[in-house]
Amino acid sequence: MTAKRLRIIALLAISTVFLLAWAFPIVWSVMNSLKTDSDVLAYPPKLVFTPTWEAYRDVLFGSGSILPNLLSSVIISVGTTVVTMLMAVPAAYALARLRFRGKKFAGFYVLATQMLPPVGIIIPYFLVLRNIGWIDTYQGIILIYLSFSLPFAIWLLVSYFEDIPFEMEEAAYLDGASRLKTLWRIIIPQVRGGIAVTVVFVFLNAWNEFLFAVVLSGNTVRPVTVAMFNFVSVEQTLWAKLAAVSVLAMLPVVVLGVVAQKHIVKGLTVGAVKGGGRR
Amino acid sequence: MSGQGQVSFRNIVKMHGEFAALKGVNFDIKPGEFFALLGPSGSGKSTTLRILAGLDAPTAGRVLIDDKDVTSTDARDRDIAMVFQSYALYPHMTVAENIAFPLEMAKLPKAEIAPAVKDAARKVKIDHLLDRKPGQLSGGQQQRCALARAIVRKARLFLLDEPLSNLDAKLRLETRAELKKLQRSLGVTAVYVTHDQEEAMTLADRMAVFMSGEIQQVGTPAEVFARPNSIDIAGFIGNPPMNLVPARYVDGDVIIAGHRLKTTTTTAGERDVVAGLRPGALRMTEGGLGARVDLIEDLGDTAALDLDCAGTMIRMRVADGNIPGEGDTISITARPQDIHLFDPATRMRL
Repeated sequence: MTAKRLRIIALLAISTVFLLAWAFPIVWSVMNSLKTDSDVLAYPPKLVFTPTWEAYRDVLFGSGSILPNLLSSVIISVGTTVVTMLMAVPAAYALARLRFRGKKFAGFYVLATQMLPPVGIIIPYFLVLRNIGWIDTYQGIILIYLSFSLPFAIWLLVSYFEDIPFEMEEAAYLDGASRLKTLWRIIIPQVRGGIAVTVVFVFLNAWNEFLFAVVLSGNTVRPVTVAMFNFVSVEQTLWAKLAAVSVLAMLPVVVLGVVAQKHIVKGLTVGAVKGGGRR
Repeated sequence: MSGQGQVSFRNIVKMHGEFAALKGVNFDIKPGEFFALLGPSGSGKSTTLRILAGLDAPTAGRVLIDDKDVTSTDARDRDIAMVFQSYALYPHMTVAENIAFPLEMAKLPKAEIAPAVKDAARKVKIDHLLDRKPGQLSGGQQQRCALARAIVRKARLFLLDEPLSNLDAKLRLETRAELKKLQRSLGVTAVYVTHDQEEAMTLADRMAVFMSGEIQQVGTPAEVFARPNSIDIAGFIGNPPMNLVPARYVDGDVIIAGHRLKTTTTTAGERDVVAGLRPGALRMTEGGLGARVDLIEDLGDTAALDLDCAGTMIRMRVADGNIPGEGDTISITARPQDIHLFDPATRMRL
């Protein structure tokens, strides 16, 4: 056996260990979600068991169905993502390109908001929302999520916009395009990789958010992260159902990751400019 | 649209803070002319082109195109096409889409766009590459694509910002010749920025030579070569550059390294001057200025000699078959009309 071969085997072994460590909670959740409540609590844990869809049936179509909560999560996450992107793309473009008074300060502010610990502002946020009557409303939660996702998205996108050479825009102007048309036809297609990355991050943050959701939501608007918590009570934890909801909540995230991966290709600008690639 | 494309710059000033990039630039370009803006880097030629394109606004002065003041007109409304040094192709579009873009922006009907794109691509010989993306093209092909995008619209002005500088030497010579033919066949006014005097000399009908934010001379390449306005232009135009040696002017003669040479000037009087002698205008002769041959660079059909004339270094170009040996002492002279005289204080031609 050659040294090269040995090295490959060693690498495979190490990566398998990492993969198992990473996959364990997911595999465990999936397994538990397919067990009966008694099987879940069996000790030693049963690795071989008769799978059942009971937990899924219960959480989806039982008395405490989480379908409305999944819908809530979708509305909140999609809403947050759409509004964030609509505002972040022009804002990032402006920060990357235009010269205006207070630009440096604006850039710093965008980053500074990321430094605040969320726990520190949850009570002020609650008071603000209560005063305007937006507790337990979609617009309320989305507004709060925007305060985090927007600076983050702008900050992420600016670097992508900065990678586009100035001359590209100037060429478009001379070709007769307006600034808006240039942004739409020339700039945005070249930063679509960055936009895809940002969409994924913003969506995932909104989808997985728990702390603000649990405080600012109520009976009308209750995302799945909060609803999940219902299966944990003082007397008992309904592990099978909790696992089933977890798996269901994970699905869109996985799908999004797989779909977005294709679009997150680097080096879209390669060859645009002689000596090419990203500046 | 030919017959259009007349350009006038009137006292254009461009300040970058305290720094004056352009200190009052004036010139006129005639319709259909190939006009070069020549100068070393930082001399203001690119700034001038950007102001003409409308990408930068001048601090003062007026820009006229076809007798219309366009100083505050948007770049996209000036009907100007430009080839950038970096080509600035749109990487997410195919070659065909790149070339079609200005036509789309002009809201041309789709049925007219396709043939126009094909036609422009054929003119620069890339009609077989229309489906490629810029990233799949070689440097020369990218350059042609940028040219096609500029000519497709039949704009009244065609601006080129060092378009050949990213090509290798051989391709640059080929493209240079094609560019000239292309411009002639289109009959469009072309404004060409370059720091390469050879490019300007070969391509331009007329040129403006920039030195530190000012135009020092406007004229045909032959005029500028034959009668450079200043020491700076004299040293910039021509390869190898003109010899510029301190000398003494006495009653129509100039004394270089102790030797008297006749000039075309007849003014009486005596003063310090800088004498300009083109390396190719020097002749070997009996009884001329004595010079020792320090170094010979044989270029095949010609040779460049480094001469030491009593401490003054002079370069000379001689034809093949006429080459002295290193260390030889020779005697050189120049005809009166080949001696340029400059004022050492103002650096201008006398």
